[in-house]
Amino acid sequence: MAISESEVTREIECIRCVQQGDGEAFGLLVERYQQRIFSIVFHLVRRRDEVEDLAQEIFFKAFRAIRSYNFQSSFATWLSRIAVNHCYDYLRKVRASRLSYYSEMTEESSRELERKLESPQAGGLDHGEKVTLRDFVGRLLARAPEDDRVILTLKELEDFSVEEIAELLKLKSSTVKVRLHRARKRMLGDLERWRQEGK
Amino acid sequence: MDCKEIRDLVSELWGGELSAEAQEHVDKCAGCEGLFRDARLVQAGFRALAEEAAPEASLGFASRLVRRLQEWEVKGARGEFFETVGRRFVYATLALTLALLLSMVLPTLGPVRGVGSADFLGLQAESQLSQPDVIGGDLGDAHELFPGRLTD
Repeated sequence: MAISESEVTREIECIRCVQQGDGEAFGLLVERYQQRIFSIVFHLVRRRDEVEDLAQEIFFKAFRAIRSYNFQSSFATWLSRIAVNHCYDYLRKVRASRLSYYSEMTEESSRELERKLESPQAGGLDHGEKVTLRDFVGRLLARAPEDDRVILTLKELEDFSVEEIAELLKLKSSTVKVRLHRARKRMLGDLERWRQEGK
Repeated sequence: MDCKEIRDLVSELWGGELSAEAQEHVDKCAGCEGLFRDARLVQAGFRALAEEAAPEASLGFASRLVRRLQEWEVKGARGEFFETVGRRFVYATLALTLALLLSMVLPTLGPVRGVGSADFLGLQAESQLSQPDVIGGDLGDAHELFPGRLTD
């Protein structure tokens, strides 16, 4: 989210007001960032019914912690970090109740999708096929360890760069690259096992 | 290139174009071909997921949140005050009770026989004098321990 210099200045003023206890000013920050937080939460948790509650908890945490915000990173990054950590904790909590089986996508429909993806008119998937694909990868993500899920979501769904993820998770860029690589490898390995189990 | 190298490459490229050398291996190796296809499928799935719009905040989300925060600030501050005061009150009551219990028990029982209230006032209880001392076994020890008092 690129914002102009004057907006940055206004945002800083706004944050300072909140740090001095101005709740109304916090409302402006919520309005500015709510969609970003909703997107992160939705992609990480993938439960529409939980998104608003979790977003509310995240903003609550942010409000309580805002005095510790020291303008070292952008407010967006700081807030996103709180969101990611909160979702991470949530995912760990609900781990036990998570789905442990794969999509009902058959080998045949999988082949059909692959053929379409390979065709020159790629991107010509109809709505139903997209739903199937979402379901398929959504379940693969649900099975993945929390760390993999977080890093893959930030990269593949939120479209953060490696550097942005590094700043957000307070890691080195090289560490993010390695973790991303391993997460993809694990996910493919998991899918391969599923295919073998199905045969 | 061997299968291990291809696996690494596939995770790296994530469904992207393979080099000629890698493609040659993939064309001959069923396992690596399957893996490459899976990577493309998963990547397409991620694209489809990314296209899915997140739910929007309900109307008045921000103002409701601010109202709740303000309520919490008032309640939280008051609650914290009462919690702190309450906790101190409980600790003080417990300490007082313990002190009272000790003052009642210590002068008559156990090896610790500090300056008991009666002794302190110079009023040696008759019953205490007529009973054997649990430490010394008889009053002889008590005489030695408190010679001044017994002569009074």
